[in-house]
Amino acid sequence: MKTGDTGFVTTTLETALEWGRSNSIWPFTFGLACCAIEMMATQASRLDISRFGSEVFRNSPRQSDLMIVSGTVTKKMAPRLKRLYDEMPYPKYVIAMGVCVIQGGPYNQGYSVVMGVDRVVPVDVYVPGCPPTPEALTHGIMLLQEKIRNREEK
Amino acid sequence: MENGLEKKYIELNMGPQHPSTHGVLRLKLLLDGETVKHVEPVIGYLHRNAEKICELDYYCDSLIYFDRMDYVAAMNMEIGYLEAAEKLLAIEPTERVKWIRVVMAELGRIASHLVWAGAFGLDLGMLTPFFYFFEEREKILNIFTEVSGSRQETNYMSIGGVYQDFNDKIIYKIREFLKQFPKKLEEAYSLFVKNDIFISRTKGIGILEPEVALSYGVTGPMLRASGVPYDVRKDAPYLVYDKLNFDIPISKGKDVLSRFIVRFEEMRQSVKIVQQALDKIPDGPYFNPKAKKSLMIRLRGEGDVYARTESPKGEFGVHLIGDGTVKPYRVHVRSPSFKNLSILPYLSRDVLIADMVAISGSIDLVFGEVDR
Amino acid sequence: MSYEVREEAGKDGRKILRIPKENLLELMKDLKGQGYDHLALITAVDYRDRIELVYHLERSSTNFEILTVKTDVNDSTVDSVTSLWESANWDEREQYDMMGLVFRGHPDLKRILLPEGWVGYPLRKDYDLSKTQYVNMDDEGNDRVSFDPGDGW
Repeated sequence: MKTGDTGFVTTTLETALEWGRSNSIWPFTFGLACCAIEMMATQASRLDISRFGSEVFRNSPRQSDLMIVSGTVTKKMAPRLKRLYDEMPYPKYVIAMGVCVIQGGPYNQGYSVVMGVDRVVPVDVYVPGCPPTPEALTHGIMLLQEKIRNREEK
Repeated sequence: MENGLEKKYIELNMGPQHPSTHGVLRLKLLLDGETVKHVEPVIGYLHRNAEKICELDYYCDSLIYFDRMDYVAAMNMEIGYLEAAEKLLAIEPTERVKWIRVVMAELGRIASHLVWAGAFGLDLGMLTPFFYFFEEREKILNIFTEVSGSRQETNYMSIGGVYQDFNDKIIYKIREFLKQFPKKLEEAYSLFVKNDIFISRTKGIGILEPEVALSYGVTGPMLRASGVPYDVRKDAPYLVYDKLNFDIPISKGKDVLSRFIVRFEEMRQSVKIVQQALDKIPDGPYFNPKAKKSLMIRLRGEGDVYARTESPKGEFGVHLIGDGTVKPYRVHVRSPSFKNLSILPYLSRDVLIADMVAISGSIDLVFGEVDR
Repeated sequence: MSYEVREEAGKDGRKILRIPKENLLELMKDLKGQGYDHLALITAVDYRDRIELVYHLERSSTNFEILTVKTDVNDSTVDSVTSLWESANWDEREQYDMMGLVFRGHPDLKRILLPEGWVGYPLRKDYDLSKTQYVNMDDEGNDRVSFDPGDGW
C-alpha cells in the first residue's frame, strides 16, 4: 500500500481484499472441551477479541470462515467435525487450540482420542497450551491475520 | 386421524455442535409441531478415556485428568480425587492445607456458577450478563494464577499438601476480590430477576418432584431446588467444613427459576465461607512431609475407598481401588452432571423446544465430566 | 431372609454387604424398603477371574449415610436394578459399555459413551490398547467402526 499526503490510497484489489478479509474473521463457535471456556473468555470482557474484528461468533458453519477447534477431538466427534468443516464456505481457516487438538495431549495413551486434528482437517495456526491463555489465542488469531495478508510470501 | 389428516411427528437432530447444548451433547428430538414429545440424549462425544489412563499413571499423576473433568471447577475436582487418594494412601493433609483447600474450593465454586449463569443467560437470549460474570471470573482466575501459575486447569493441590503456600499477597488479593464481589453479584442478579421475560421463561418450567429427583440420582443445586437439603459439606463433612458457619440454600419452587436462585444464594454463602476461612487459617507446613515430592511416585495403596465431595454440580464421588502397587487398579467417578443429565428426558415431556433449552441449561452440564 | 449376607467394614469405615449374585435383586428390594432411595454409583471392577460389582446406596432420611453392596459376577450377566432406581439405567449402560456386563431386564441396553460397533470393552484388564480402532460416519449419521486406518479417524 502506498499512502500519500493527498488523501488518496493506491493499492491492488488483491491487497485490499486480503486486508479486509484478515480484519473481519468470523469464528465458528466450535467449543469441544476445556479450551472452549478460554475461548469464551477471549470473547468476554477483559480480552475483548472484537479489537481484532473477530467478535462475531457465528453458530452456523455457513456464516463463518474460521474454525477454532478448542478441546479434545474424540474419534466419535471427528466425522462430525469433518462434516462441519466441509459445510464452511471458502476461504476457510482452522486454528488448533490446545495440545489435545495438536497431538492428543494428556490423553494420547488412550483409545478414543484422535492424535491431532490435522489428521482430519488442514490446520493453519497451532496454539499450544493446556489450555492456552486467552492472550495466546489472541496471538494465534493475529498470526492468522499475518498469514492471510502475506499469502504470496509464505 | 383428525379431519382426515394423519398426525405425524417430526424427528429433529440437535447437536453435537449446537450453541445451547453447552458442549457436545446431541439430542434426538421427536416433535409434534413445537412441542417435544420425546428426547433422547446421545453422549460420548467427549469420552477421553480418563478412567483408563488413570490406571496407567502414578497416584500423583492421575490428578491432572481430574482437573480436566469438570474443567470450570478444577479445584473442586482435585479435592474430590485427593479425598479418596489420601484415604487410600493413608496420608493426612496438614491442618493448614485443609483450610487452604476450603478457600480454593469455594472460589472455584463461585467461578463455576459464574460461568453457568453467563451461559444460561445466553441460552435464554441475554447477552449482557455474560460479560458481567466473566469479568468477575477473570478476577478469580487471577488469584488461581497467583497460587498455581495456571488459570483454569490449576493442578494446585497434591497428595498431602498444596503446590505453594499462601502468602500475604495472595490473601490480600482474595480479600480485595471479596470486598467488591457481593455488590457486583447483586447488580448482575438484578439483571435477571427484574427482567419479566426471564421470569416468564423460567417460572413453573421443568418442575422436578423430590422423589423423582432422588430416584434419578440427581444431586447438587438441582436437588436442593426441589427442596431436599442434601449437601455433602453438611451431611458428611470433609476437610474443615464442620468448623465453618454457613447455610444450605434450598427452594420449594422445584422449577428452573428456583435452581437459578439456589445457585446465586450458594455464591453468597461461598463468600461467607471464604471470609471465615481466611480469618482462621492456622500456621504450619503446607504439605505433609510423608508425601515429599521425591517420594511421591513410590506411594503404594491397597484396598478400596469411596470419597464424596460437593462439587458445584452435585455429589462428586471417587471410587478408588488399589492393589498394593504404585498405580491405581481402578478409578471410577460418580459425575454429578452425568446423573443430572439423565433426568432431561423426564423433564422434557410435552414442553416447548425453547423451554427444553431452558431446562437443559438449568442442569449445568459440563461434558468433560459427563463423558470423562 | 432367604439369603446370606456377609458384612465387612471398608477401609474408610463404610459398611459393606457382600451378597451372592443370585440374591442381589432380592437384597436390593429389601434395602429400598429400608429407605435407601438414592443409588449413588455402580462400579464394576475387573479382577481377571471375576468382575466385582459395587453399588453405593444412600438413605435420604438419615443424612445420606452410605452403604456399599458388593457382588461377584463370573459369567458377565447380572440382574438389573432399573426397576428400583431410575438412575441405574445410565449407570448400567455405562458398565455394559466399559466392562461388557449384561444386565438382565434392562429396558434399553446399548453403548452409551463409545460408538455402536466398538470392538472390546476398554476398562477390562485384557483390553489391547495397541490395536487402534477408527470411527467414521455414514450419511444417516450412524457410526461405523473399523480397524482400517484409511476409513475414519
